[in-house]
Amino acid sequence: MRPRAPETLPAQLTRHRIYVLPTASGLFFGLLLGAMLLGALNFNNNPALLLALLLAGAAQASLIAAHMQLSGLRVEAVAAEPVAAGEDLHLRIALGAADARVRRGLRVAVGEHATHIALDASGASAELRLPTTRRGLLPLPRLELSSVQPLGLARAWGYAWPAQSLLVYPAPETQAPPLPVPANGQDHAQAARSGDDPHHLRGYRPGDPPRTVAWKASARHDSLLVRDYEQQRGGELLLDWQQTAGLPYEQRIRRLARWVDDAERDGRRYGLQLPAQPPIASDRGPQHRHRCLRALALLPHDTPASEPAHG
Amino acid sequence: MAEHASPPMTTRARMQVLLAAAACLLPLLLQLPAWLGPAFGVGALVVVAASWRRPMPALLRLLLSACALLAVAVVAPGIGRDTACAVLAAMLALKPSETFSLRDGRSLVGFGLFGPFATFLLDQGPASLALALLAVLLALLALQRLAADEGEVAQPAGRGAATFGVLRLFALGLPLALAAFWLFPRLPSPLWGLPHRSVATPGLSDTMTPGSMGELLLDDSPAARVQFFGGAPAQEQMYWRGPVLWDFDGRSWRQARDLQRLPAAPMRPAGAGWDYRIDLEPTEDRQLVALDLPTQLPDGAYASHDYTPWAETAQYNVSRWRMRSAPPAAFEAELPPPLRARALTLPRGYNPRTVALGRQWRRDAGSDARGRSDAAIIGRALAMIRRDFAYTLNVPLAGRNEVDDFLFDRREGYCEHFSSAFVVLMRAAGIPARVVTGYAGAYRNPIGDYWLVRKSDAHAWTEVWLPVRGWVRVDPTAAVAPERVYDTIADRQPGRIAGLDALVPMFNASDWLRRGWNDFVLGFNAQRQQSLLKPLGLDRLGAGALVALFAAIAALALAWMAWLIARGERQRDPLLRAWHALEARYRRLGRGRAAHEPALAWAIRVAADSPRAGQHLATLATRFNLARYAPAGNRAELQALLRDLRAHRP
Repeated sequence: MRPRAPETLPAQLTRHRIYVLPTASGLFFGLLLGAMLLGALNFNNNPALLLALLLAGAAQASLIAAHMQLSGLRVEAVAAEPVAAGEDLHLRIALGAADARVRRGLRVAVGEHATHIALDASGASAELRLPTTRRGLLPLPRLELSSVQPLGLARAWGYAWPAQSLLVYPAPETQAPPLPVPANGQDHAQAARSGDDPHHLRGYRPGDPPRTVAWKASARHDSLLVRDYEQQRGGELLLDWQQTAGLPYEQRIRRLARWVDDAERDGRRYGLQLPAQPPIASDRGPQHRHRCLRALALLPHDTPASEPAHG
Repeated sequence: MAEHASPPMTTRARMQVLLAAAACLLPLLLQLPAWLGPAFGVGALVVVAASWRRPMPALLRLLLSACALLAVAVVAPGIGRDTACAVLAAMLALKPSETFSLRDGRSLVGFGLFGPFATFLLDQGPASLALALLAVLLALLALQRLAADEGEVAQPAGRGAATFGVLRLFALGLPLALAAFWLFPRLPSPLWGLPHRSVATPGLSDTMTPGSMGELLLDDSPAARVQFFGGAPAQEQMYWRGPVLWDFDGRSWRQARDLQRLPAAPMRPAGAGWDYRIDLEPTEDRQLVALDLPTQLPDGAYASHDYTPWAETAQYNVSRWRMRSAPPAAFEAELPPPLRARALTLPRGYNPRTVALGRQWRRDAGSDARGRSDAAIIGRALAMIRRDFAYTLNVPLAGRNEVDDFLFDRREGYCEHFSSAFVVLMRAAGIPARVVTGYAGAYRNPIGDYWLVRKSDAHAWTEVWLPVRGWVRVDPTAAVAPERVYDTIADRQPGRIAGLDALVPMFNASDWLRRGWNDFVLGFNAQRQQSLLKPLGLDRLGAGALVALFAAIAALALAWMAWLIARGERQRDPLLRAWHALEARYRRLGRGRAAHEPALAWAIRVAADSPRAGQHLATLATRFNLARYAPAGNRAELQALLRDLRAHRP
């Protein structure tokens, strides 16, 4: 029974969901054996018959062996770091097995993207690059696990369909205008940038970007010091859906995504205000960036009726 | 898959494929006539070397194929089984010139498997069998290697592990293969006939030219194996009768074809005779041999007028015959005049000195109706041979008056010369006589208690016709060298090399094994298949019964394989297995453990519903946790826990 609907992991490949069929070379081999058997039976040539039967027995056993390559296999987890649409997702598929049988040449495929791995008692993880085209949740397609081992005469395969979606961020706009100026106009960024005034330095906290470390000042102290850009680069930034008014719908999302990246790169605190959603409060750091980009990625795909149609 | 170009083989895989192809080709090359084998072998090596880096041009390949076909046509003209096999060998030798991709490799290995198959059409001896098994093993290893390449296996299994893997596949497939071999219904007669060889192998022939048997006399391979039920004749009485030769043209003796379909001549046996079973090696001919004289032949065989045993069809495989034979007290005592005249005919103008000697002896002995003078002439001839003649295998080429040369000048030769000269002499003296060919003597193998007749036992003797007694066997060669004829000297013992007996037991054992192989494998046919269950009281197995039996055994074999699969999924740890079984019992009652629940927490939850079972479960869970996470290494304790887990019911 192939999974007709996504299933929760771990998914075990039981014998009910493994299929075995001869490969093209297996069919060719079968044809040869058929000719041999017919000839040997006709001439009552017993050694030839025994030879053909031995080969047929081994081929039949290789069908079983191919089946055993898959049986007991378990898809334990599937994960991928979100990437921007257009980039390749690095899909990691963790596989385990109920027994210690060594499995070689196991093919793991999603659509036409495939890789081969070897698996032993300690499990293994396959890595697949999956191209993305659009933002949002990418429902994970069916995984196909297959093997032609040991003789290449038979192919055993089975499907696993993890109920899991992979997040794809919107692709950031490539040629975007600079970050918008905060509404309250307290942008002292350029003035405060000069010098390494100790008042503007603070101790390093995990998560600070390395480029904000004040290396010279740190060298004079025992601990790492970080320039406090928060102070230097002015106040909080609110990235508002309304600031991108006039652009096509998807374009607005891409611009906001670009601004989130820019603000994060510059180490500024930023918030995000999207239509029909509670605002995301100002913060910074990878977690915050993920929250913002996730919100952008999950915006509905079709243009909301309230928006003016673009074009 | 088909639209993708097949990926190229790695160098190692390619070498393995070529090795397998060579192993497949080798047994076939050994069976090809004349110099074709070595020539194709060298050709294959050259082709591999020449096309190692890039494929050979198509034109060159075509040219080479033409050369190979021409060679076959020159060596073995005509269309025969051996020529077909030679063409196959040539194709296999040329195939590596276009073997680069994975698919090429697989097709080469696949076609290569026809090599051992074709070998068996030409020869079924132990050497061919051993080489064929090796070839099959290497072929599957090559396929395994190609599959590993396709699966991008970074570190393929080592040679030992790979061989073990392939042998395991054979072992898994063996029950099914053997069931099919013995039980799959055989064809009682072929759908299409086996083509003959265009180059014959040595064996008994229906003609005899003195000097022609030399090759056969040096061939120590087996011709027949005989098992006696009840008594066996003395070794000196073991004359295995084959073609009887009547007609002499001055050079060669021929069978009387017109007598072959006449009913057997009247014969009065002396005594009960011998009951025996003879297993004949394939002759590709209808000719059989039987102990002198066959009185009872099984279905499918008959004796001609002169008691030449024949089969109804040519025997391409080991054949088995149950026969009775007895020495004659009187054998065709009334010789019809045409036959008498035929048994006295000599070609005009040949061997004048012998003819003169025969007539001279007749004049000396006179003639009488009781045949006393005939006996005297025979005695005189044998005395002369015993006195003046010697046995040798080194005989120069025959001249025009071969018998004269032998009797008066050379005075040495072997059975063909003795029997031919003796019959000519007898006919000249007016005694009807004929040559009988076949085998004489046998070697008794103490292992298995059977008699082995080898091709080197081939022999020619004579029969003379005497009044009252009819045809009487006279063996002039035995008058000179009885030990050569009857195999009674140690020198003729098989396995004896340079006067040492050390290898004799080994020969005995190996021939016994080969006899068993003949018995169980080579000689198996539709008829033997039908009587397969005779020991169980079933006299005849019909095709339907065979199919049913085969289906049952095949189903068993497949069930065994399915069990192997199911076993593959089974939890290996007996403790976990017992625990899971216990969980399953609760789950059936709707009180199974949730995935997130620790064992003990679950037991406590169960205890809330049913205190008695729950409490027991809790102790089991505690013990399970201990055994699993803090094992004491105490086997007895583990066994006790396993027992309790299995015994627990919700």
